[in-house]
This record gives sequence, structure tokens and C-alpha cells, in this order.
Amino acid sequence: MRISLLGALMGAAMAWAGSAAAQTGTIVIGYELPLSGDSSHYGEVFRNAADIKLQEFKDAGGMPGANIVLRYEDSKNDPKEARNIAQLFVDDKSIVGVLGDFSSTASMAAAEIYAKAGMPQLSQTASHPDFVKISKWQFRNITTQSYEGPFNAGWMHEMGVSKAAVVAIQNDWGLSCASNFADAFKAKGGTVTSIEYFNPGTRDFRSILTKIARAAPQAMYLCMFYEEGASFLQQRQELGVAAQVYGASSLFEDQLIKLAGPAANGLFLSSNFMPANPDPNVQKFVGEYKAKYGVVPNQFAAQAYDAMGIMLVALQKAGPKVTRDSLRDALAQTKDYPGVTGATTFDPVTREPQKSVVRMTISNGEYMVTQ
Amino acid sequence: MSAASVPERGDHPTLPPAFAKALLALILFVAVPATLSGIGGGYLYQIATTALIFVILAASLNLVTGTAGLLSLGHAGFYGIGAYVAALLSTRLGASFLVTLPAAGAVAGAIGTLVALPTMRLVSIYFAVATLGIGEMIYVTLLNWTDFTRGPMGIRSIPDIEMLGWEPHSPMQQYLVVASVAAVSLWVLSRLTHSYFGNALRAVREDDQCASAMGLNVVHLKIVAFGASCCFAGIAGALLAHTANFISPDQFQFGESINILAMVVVGGLGSLPGAVIGALLLVILPEALRSVGDFRMIAIGSIMFFSILLLPKGLLGEASALSLLRRQFGEAWSGRPGPPVGWR
Amino acid sequence: MLDVYLAQQIVNGLSIGLVYALMAIGFTLIFGVLNVVNFAHGEVYMIGAFAGLMLITAAAPPLLAVVVIVLTVGAATGVGLERLAFKPFRRFRDEASLRSRAMREATLLSSLAVSIVTREAMRQIFGSSMQTIPQGYLLQHPIRIGVLSITDGDLIIFASSVVMLVALQFLLFRTRTGLSIRAVANSPLGAQFVGIDTDRAIMATFAIGSMLGATAGILVGLYTGTITPQMGFAPGIKAFVAMVMGGLSSIPGAVICALFLGVAESITTEFLASGWQDLVAYAFLIATLVFFPQGLFGVGRERA
Repeated sequence: MRISLLGALMGAAMAWAGSAAAQTGTIVIGYELPLSGDSSHYGEVFRNAADIKLQEFKDAGGMPGANIVLRYEDSKNDPKEARNIAQLFVDDKSIVGVLGDFSSTASMAAAEIYAKAGMPQLSQTASHPDFVKISKWQFRNITTQSYEGPFNAGWMHEMGVSKAAVVAIQNDWGLSCASNFADAFKAKGGTVTSIEYFNPGTRDFRSILTKIARAAPQAMYLCMFYEEGASFLQQRQELGVAAQVYGASSLFEDQLIKLAGPAANGLFLSSNFMPANPDPNVQKFVGEYKAKYGVVPNQFAAQAYDAMGIMLVALQKAGPKVTRDSLRDALAQTKDYPGVTGATTFDPVTREPQKSVVRMTISNGEYMVTQ
Repeated sequence: MSAASVPERGDHPTLPPAFAKALLALILFVAVPATLSGIGGGYLYQIATTALIFVILAASLNLVTGTAGLLSLGHAGFYGIGAYVAALLSTRLGASFLVTLPAAGAVAGAIGTLVALPTMRLVSIYFAVATLGIGEMIYVTLLNWTDFTRGPMGIRSIPDIEMLGWEPHSPMQQYLVVASVAAVSLWVLSRLTHSYFGNALRAVREDDQCASAMGLNVVHLKIVAFGASCCFAGIAGALLAHTANFISPDQFQFGESINILAMVVVGGLGSLPGAVIGALLLVILPEALRSVGDFRMIAIGSIMFFSILLLPKGLLGEASALSLLRRQFGEAWSGRPGPPVGWR
Repeated sequence: MLDVYLAQQIVNGLSIGLVYALMAIGFTLIFGVLNVVNFAHGEVYMIGAFAGLMLITAAAPPLLAVVVIVLTVGAATGVGLERLAFKPFRRFRDEASLRSRAMREATLLSSLAVSIVTREAMRQIFGSSMQTIPQGYLLQHPIRIGVLSITDGDLIIFASSVVMLVALQFLLFRTRTGLSIRAVANSPLGAQFVGIDTDRAIMATFAIGSMLGATAGILVGLYTGTITPQMGFAPGIKAFVAMVMGGLSSIPGAVICALFLGVAESITTEFLASGWQDLVAYAFLIATLVFFPQGLFGVGRERA
């Protein structure tokens, strides 16, 4: 049942329990995420994944001496709401760490409050370059575009692409995706014919495609999410634009293929999560997620799963009597965490995550790894 | 002729103005901080601060939409302009709050007046659409003029309120500063509404051809009202910038304009206390309903719908001029002295 | 200077504009009659799209059958909307209330509130992401005309708008219902005085306008491949702008302005950047209003 009244009630009960049970060794981790509004499908996926990880942790014995509980709050991916929730979490003394938010703008709005109050914050998806610079309390486990951009630029260069156009969504993620790629591509001697930004919510790309077609690049690099991506690929087929398409890991989503149909074939993209990866950690996660929710988890679920895992490992390291300070220090020491999105280490100075990325493509209606 | 055929609200018992003002000041500056400090937590102070910012926004929108009758659907744009002016001045030039606040108001007011000049001759719905267009144009500019506004990246680490070296060291102090600005703004707005200027605006609202025939310079009045309203929206924006320390274009879209309009309407078009109550209601309610989770927006929409349905003139709606006049005349003919013609 | 890419851009613009026009037709009909903005029209559009989609996934009937059923769903939704959000505000009959601006804003805001509740409810039920549409129904098969490229969806939408316009003209000027609608549009009180049942006429207006809106929804949904609970919001605003630019009560005027807006958008993308297209569209709107305060094709309207 999509309507999570049960979830809301559980959340309320947990919050009540969390604040009441502060004396009995309950550790609460706050999780701010979009449960309603335009990004609600991402929020739901985060919640699903985090719940699975926490359950796994408890089944494996949990943490002796403490009961770890998650408290979810709906931020609607709105910076205003994120701020309110941040303040709410900061006031609750039983909350020692926070996961979230989804977008960089919401995460950064909340970060200002966490920085002032001293609360460690780990975002599973905030990729704005400035996010971790706000204060020592901010962490993230998603590859920033400063890693993915050059990776894709190198790939395209290898495949003989010398002229490329970039199509990017006009938000902080899109800007950094486009600029990182463009800089790296130019450094390899390629030409970027143009960078086309489109406002979030746009679904009609024919004007952009026509404009790009005039410059006749060999390939297009897409910095967008799967919904825009599906429309873009369909319209590219409609207009018969010959240029190949490469994309960032944001396009790795089963729904893309369902929405775009045969137009999706031939897309190249980078990713750090592959459900078919034989790694036992990945298979365990995929199996559990599929058993409980009926679908294969996507990259966003994997990110949240890992974020929760990193937080749990840090909690264990900080010991049964966790404080916000000790948790922050433990998080900063994260090294080689065996996540489903690749081994994750936080750089000791910048707190940026270092991860690995693979090349993929869509062929015959399926994602597969490629060279 | 009896007044019973006209559906209207009963008279509210009115307090003597000076006493009412003192009471409000007491609540705002003493009672609220005392209660909040008692309950503890920065969260409630944050809600209170946000509520006061929206009170200024709703009150300023009320001046142009309620009192002057010009439906404005782009108010969030001027809110955004004020916020960005304050943010840019303080992050790029290190300006203090004493500079950014008036600057935000001035720039927003100036742009509002500029925008009002060509559009003032438009009639109601055309003007509304023009303001919608202007609000959207402002949003698109904030989003795409990346070199100047940093576009979707937003402006972060905006300094706190800083005045002559003093900075608020606790949520309560920040709240008190915001409360003072709000109190002054409300006082100015209420002076504007309860004056010859305000009456002239009401005349323009009810029938602008008549008002013009009576000798009022309708276009001039409308421009001044619109400019003043935008100026206060800018001031609210500056407060947002310094209290949230982070702004981005997506906070100033059309949806926000509709939010503010809803506050004014729920409270009662044309009524300043109504706008204040509407703002408080629509800011505090979503927070109080947070535990309802996914159903929050549905609950808010329904509340809006039912309040409009059952109280179409709003909670403290201003009585229509015609019904007031009718009552006055009715009284005059029957010889009994009626209540003074005035507005609360 | 008209190279093939520019020509294609103009074609792109026209097809964007047709989408707005399709929605503007129903929207203008309702506004023209009632003089109130129906903010919930975008939601009727969205409900039409969802109804059509559910039908397609359940029974896979031919497209024409889908359109017919969506027409009925649209009419029912429109009548329901009218009963819920607009009728309660007609209970005040006295002159003061009728002239009161507060009342007019009240209907505007009640339709806005209804649209918010509907949108959120649909979001709860269906989720906010794009719905999967069976490939066979997508109206996206490319058709080459010389060097230009359009899709079968473009032709279908064009044909539908023509049919809608012709049907409306017929309905408004050749039938009794149309006559009563025009009478109420001209003067609600006057129409009552001559014995026209204004309630029925208003209900009929909503039914017809919503039928058109719902059909627009399913056709555009299949054409763009995007069906989400928030799909009605942005086109709704553009339709509103097109209507005002065209001169509130003129349906052909709204269509022409909608096409113009579409072309302005694609030309902006060509010469500036996609992000600025809204700004150019609205700048045109304001320029039009400044020089033509009644809209481009507006007949003198009684002071609003």
C-alpha cells in the first residue's frame, strides 16, 4: 500500500519513543527525506533501503547496550522544510546523527543549521561541490561529478569522439556535472560544441535537439535524471538525431527503459551500482530488496543502503555511549567500507568519498556492463 | 431598510486602538519569547521567525490585493529580489544588516514601481496575468543568470543579522530582531491602510471609474500601492536571507505566490488583521500537521477549501463598502445615529 | 536565412503551441462564460490522461474508443468540479455580494484549493513519477515531410483542435444549449430574467469545457509520453496566458496566441538558451497587454 499511514504512525511512535526513551539507551538517527511532493519516489526508495539495512543490522546482533532507531521526517525536498526539520532534529537530544537530504539545495539549507549546532550529517545524494565545505559536520557517500565527469570524458575520448554537446538540467547537480565533464573533455583535446541547460520540469527537448543537430557533434553527454532522459531519448529518435548519447549515473534506472522503450537502446552511461554484480554484498542487498518490495533496487536505493551502513559502522565504532562529536569523528574515519556502490573511503582532509565507477550500456532493453 | 437582507459579519467588539497596540506589542515581544524559552528548543523559534516573515508578506500583499483590489500573482518574485539583494550585498560586499535591509526594500520597491508603470492601466484579470508573468520572469532570471546570482547553486553562508558589530547569539535574540522589523512594518502598513490613502485605495477597488470621476488620480494611487507592497516584500526577503543563511531560486516560484495569496484570502481580503492571522495559520498549521505525514498537503488544501466555502469573506473579512454605506444610509433615514463609518 | 534547422524549430514551436492551444480551448470557454478563472482545469486535463491510461492498461481498446470514454469522464469530472467548487458561491444573490471582489477571488481560490487537493490525492494514489505507457499507444511515430520531422501525434493533435473548434462553433451558434450559454456569458442576471436556467447552462459549460480539457490531457499525455499528477500545472499557466493574450472571450484568439507562445519558446531556445524561454514568452505577454490592453482579439468587455 503506497499510502504510508502506517509509516507515518510508526514514525510518530518512534519519535515519541525516541524522545521518551532517551534515558534507556536508545540511539536515534534522524532521516530527512522527501516523502511527498515531486521527489517522493526517491524518498520512498531511501526509506525502503535504510529500513532493510537497519533490519539486517539488528538480525546480525545489533549493537549491544543500545537500541538504534530511525526517525523519518518529510522534507518534500524543500529547503524551507529541510531547515525546520533540521531544527527539530537538533532540538531532540536523543538524535546523534542525521541522514539526508535528497537534493543539494535542501541538504545545504539544513547543513547551515547542523553546522551551527554541531550535528553530523551524511547525505546519500547531495553532490554539490560546496556541500562538504560548509563545515566539518557534513559528509556524503555519492561520487561527485568531479570524479564522474573526467571518467566519462576519458571514455568518450577513447571511443573516438572529438566533438560533443552537453545537455544539463539547470540545478546545482547539473551545473557541476556539465562543467566537470566539459573541462575534462577539453583537457583531452576535444571540443564542446555547446552546453544546453534546461529548467527543471522541462519535458520537451526538440528545440534543444534541433539546435544541437545543427552543430553536428558526434555525441551528446546527458546530465539529467531518468524522467527527462526518457523523454530526451524518445524525442531524439523522433527527430532522427544521429549523435550518440552518453550519460551520468543518474540515468541508471529501470524505469528509464520502461518509459523510453526501444529509444533507450544504445545509451552509454557510467554507474557505481550494478544489480547483476556477483559480489555477495550486492546480491544480498538485491535479494532482500526484491523480496520485500518486489522490484530490483536502483542506484538511489543502493546509495541510501550504503549511507545507513556507513552510519551504523560509525555508531559501532563510537561505542554504546554515542555523542554527536564522537559520531562525527567516527564517520570521518570511514575507510574501505564494503558498500554495494563500491568500496567507500572518506578523505581524511576533505571528507570527500572516493569510489569506483563502471561503464554500462543499454542494449536490447537491458542494462549491461560494457568496455 | 434593514441590514438583514445583506449577508455580513457582525460587528467585532473593538478595543480602543492604543490598548490593542500595547497588547499586541506585549504578546509579540514578551509573551511569545517567554513561552518559547520555557518550552525550549530552537525549532519553535524558527517557526515563529518564519511565521513573522510571512506575516509581513501577507500584510504587504493585502495592501495591493485586498485594499487596492489589484490581484497580484507575482509577489514571490519581489520577495526573491529582496532576498537576493540582501544576500549579495552581505556576501560580496560584507554589508551589515542596517544596509541590506533597506537596500532590499528599496530595490524591490523600485523594480515593483518600474513594473507597475506600464501595466497600471490594465484591468483586473489582465493585470493579474501580467503580475504572474513578472513573477515568473523574475524566477527565470534568478535561475539562469548564473554569473550574477549563482543560479541554481544558490547563495550559501549568508551572514547572520549584524548591526554595528552586534550579532544575535541565540534564537531568541534573532526572533526579537525579526519581531521588531515585523512590528514596524505592520505599523507602517496599518497607517497606510487606515488613512486617506487607504480610503482612496478602497474607492479605487470598488469602482475605479467612479473614483477617477471623483478626482482621484487612480493610476498614481495604484503605482504607489504596488511599489509600497513590493518594498515590504523585499524587506521580508532580506529577513529570510539573514535567518536562513541559504537561499536558492526554487524558493521563489509561482507556488509561493499562491501560498501568500492563500494566506491573505483565508484571513480576509482587505483586512490587515485577517492577513496576519491567515499567515500565522498557514505557516503554523503545516508544522503542527507534520505528524500526519503524507496527507499534509491534502489537509492544507482541504482547510483552505472549507474556510473559503464557509467563510467566503475570510475570517475577519472587511465588510464590503456597499453594505456599510447601505447601513449608514438606512440609519440616517430612520433618524438613529449609526456606528461610525470606519474600518477596523 | 531559413535553413532546415530553423524551419524545424518553427515546426517544433508550432507543435508545442498546439498542446497549449488544445488546453486553452476548454479553459477559455469556461472563463468566457463565468468570468472566473478555473484553476482546476489543469487537474481535469490530468484526470483525463489518467483515466485514458487506466483504460488502456486494462482493456487496450482502439484509440478512438479511448477518446470517447475520456470525453465522458471529462464531462462527469467537470460537472463534479462545478458542483463542488463553484456552485456554493452562487448562493449569494444580492447585489453587494455579486459585485464584491472578495466573492470573485473566493471562487478563484476555491478552484485552486480543489486543484491542490486533487493533485495531492492523485499523487498519493499513483505516485509522482511518470507512468509507464504501453509502447503501442504512444503517438510518437516520426513522419518525414521533406527535411522536416514531425510525428503522428502532431497531426492527431492538430486534427483534434480543428474538430474541437468547429464543434464548439456549431454548438455555440447553432444549438439551444449554446444559445443559453452565450446568454449567460453576456449577462447572468439578464439571462435569468428571460427564463434561462442559468444553473443548467453553467453546468453545460463546465461539462463541455472539461470534456475538451480531458481529451487534451489524454492526447498530449500519449504524445509526450509524460503522464504524472503534476502534468496539468505548467500547460495550465501557459493556456491562461494564451487566453489573456488572445482577449479573454475569444477562443480562436487564444489558439493563435498559444501557437505564437510555442514558436516564441522554440526560437528562444535556438538563439538564446532553453532556460530563458519562459521569460521571452511572458515578455511578449506583457508587451501585448501594454499595447493592446484588451488582448489581441478581445472585444470590448464590460469592466471586469
